[in-house]
Amino acid sequence: MNILSLLLKKPKVTRSNTTDLVFESTGLMLRQEIDRVFGNSIAIREVDCGSDNAAEIELANLSAPHYDVERFGITFVASPRHADVLAVTGVVTHAMKEALIKTYEATPEPKFVIAVGDDACTGGIFAESYAVLGPVDSVIPVDLKIPGNPPTPAAIMKGLLMMMQSAEKR
Amino acid sequence: MSVMGSPGLPSSWLIKSDATAVYYSVPAEDLKNILTAELARESRLVWIFCTDESRTTEVFRLWYVIEEAERPEFIVLVVDTSHPESIASLYPVASYFERKIADEFGIRFEGSVDERRLLLHECYPEGFYPLRKTTKNGPVQTTEKTAPYEFRQVQGTAVYQVPVGPVHAGIIEPGHFRFSVIGETIVNLELRLGYLHRGIEKLAEGSDPFSGIRIAESISGDESAALACCYAMAIETIASIRIPDRAAALRVILLELERSYSLLSDLAGMVTDVAFSAAAARFLIIREELQRSCEMITGSRFLKGILTVGGLSRDIPDDLLMALKDTVIQSLVDLDEVFTWTLSVPSVIDRFSTTGVVREPLIDPLALSGPIARASGRACDVRADHPYGWYLAHPPCVIFKRDGDVLARFSVKGEEIRASLTLIKEMIPDIPKGPVHVTATIRDGFSLSALESPRGRTLFWIKVIDGKIDRFAVSTASFCNWLAIEHAVMGNIVPDFPVINKSLNLSYAGTDL
Repeated sequence: MNILSLLLKKPKVTRSNTTDLVFESTGLMLRQEIDRVFGNSIAIREVDCGSDNAAEIELANLSAPHYDVERFGITFVASPRHADVLAVTGVVTHAMKEALIKTYEATPEPKFVIAVGDDACTGGIFAESYAVLGPVDSVIPVDLKIPGNPPTPAAIMKGLLMMMQSAEKR
Repeated sequence: MSVMGSPGLPSSWLIKSDATAVYYSVPAEDLKNILTAELARESRLVWIFCTDESRTTEVFRLWYVIEEAERPEFIVLVVDTSHPESIASLYPVASYFERKIADEFGIRFEGSVDERRLLLHECYPEGFYPLRKTTKNGPVQTTEKTAPYEFRQVQGTAVYQVPVGPVHAGIIEPGHFRFSVIGETIVNLELRLGYLHRGIEKLAEGSDPFSGIRIAESISGDESAALACCYAMAIETIASIRIPDRAAALRVILLELERSYSLLSDLAGMVTDVAFSAAAARFLIIREELQRSCEMITGSRFLKGILTVGGLSRDIPDDLLMALKDTVIQSLVDLDEVFTWTLSVPSVIDRFSTTGVVREPLIDPLALSGPIARASGRACDVRADHPYGWYLAHPPCVIFKRDGDVLARFSVKGEEIRASLTLIKEMIPDIPKGPVHVTATIRDGFSLSALESPRGRTLFWIKVIDGKIDRFAVSTASFCNWLAIEHAVMGNIVPDFPVINKSLNLSYAGTDL
């Protein structure tokens, strides 16, 4: 930056966002667990199998400025081949069964699956529909269920922390 | 109500007329002539849906929903037939509706240009027609895929295909895109949706109309308030329920809040896809503040559970509304700053301008609506054209642009967020006092309802028999608007597809149902 542009620039007013203390402390605990169990980072691949898109929005929100979970060692990756964890949302539809199984198979071992949201955990209101197979664990093994319609970013973080603790035992 | 004269149909054909629609029973052989006359008068076909009235025979009832210019009520042409004729040559969007009906009811449209399945994939067995009354909702024996879905083929030297999805690289919904490309230039794109088909329309059948709203709001998460409200309006018309003034005003607050946070993620997505992540971060900060306000006033970051048939399920206290107002005022300041900043950056303009053009002549044949139509030169908005609830007395000023490119959609969406937030800010001090819910008993009947969701025209048609939902038909804006993307990408380069897709930001779940 040259001196002229510095002089012309208005002074920056930075409004700090209210820090969510619970979220921060969950994040820091998660950071420690990730460092210890996963060697400093985990990579998550999201798979939508029948969600109404709200759970996707909350997962994507984890990377937005208020949460910015990359600082805790969590990244969302573009391919299952790069992933440690599959975050699966929605009740599994017949049309997504094959894609879900292929994604699961493409994920290298050791792999962990979390079901995110009520529909993914139990089938929710869609459980009785002709178009669905059922919750995620009716198709692939699930390590942890995070309920909610959809779960908040903070709830997803708490779920990840629980998964880390159980991952160590596995 | 001006029933006479308008479509020039014999009054003996009139079945029913209410605030949203006028229904005519039309002999099957006259349908095409009437639709040709409607086309000449620049009416738009916005929806075709089917009902199984006979319940045993193979005669089905088709409902053609027409939007005439300058007329607040929709015209619905009702045809009983077992061998309908395709009307795709008059209204191209009809092909999409006809394919959906063919999946659901097993009806073959004579002269159809495309008879491939639309939402039911190959895994569903032959002869499985979920919305027939003889088909019970329950587990279905799927088959191993036999014949693969046939995509349109573009052939020639140097043409290659790029298949994308259903599992994408980003955190988004599943869908398949089949590009045909020469070099980097897209010469054809074909969509394959239906991966999220959850059987929503069948699931709702037999439900209690009051609890059906929970199904409606699960159709598409980031427009759940719009879908719940539109559904509630249909039931309220059937049961002649007039919701209290306070509920009507609070519904507008919720709908406009939803429009704001939904469109903000579109803006953030667009600038992310042209590598201007600094602005994306700031759009996302505003959006998160609004979503936190949603949670503060309703308990849900997606406004779920608050809307109910007859008003709202609980009141929103005035002190929370004042807190919302403060957030909204700050959001307006922040939005103006980052919006103006974005539009002053040459590299953003370079990527947005002339990219992904949706041309104005496509709007009517494809029944496009919402910000997409408004960015292509059409000042259409259900709130203004078919006003409902609070908007009856306060129709909004419709924002529109002419260029139809990503830049126009970015501008329209940005200005719409500003208009919505301004409306919320101005409404809050004047929200009437009183109850927010009226209890009522349900009656039998049917009704159409229309509402402007963040993505455009949302339509519900609900029929109640013996106090239970007999038919739950829904058409979200995304269903028709998806067709625009196949045209918008033509001649663009593959690397511009993400920003074009994001500028349209359509709901997969809202289409697949």
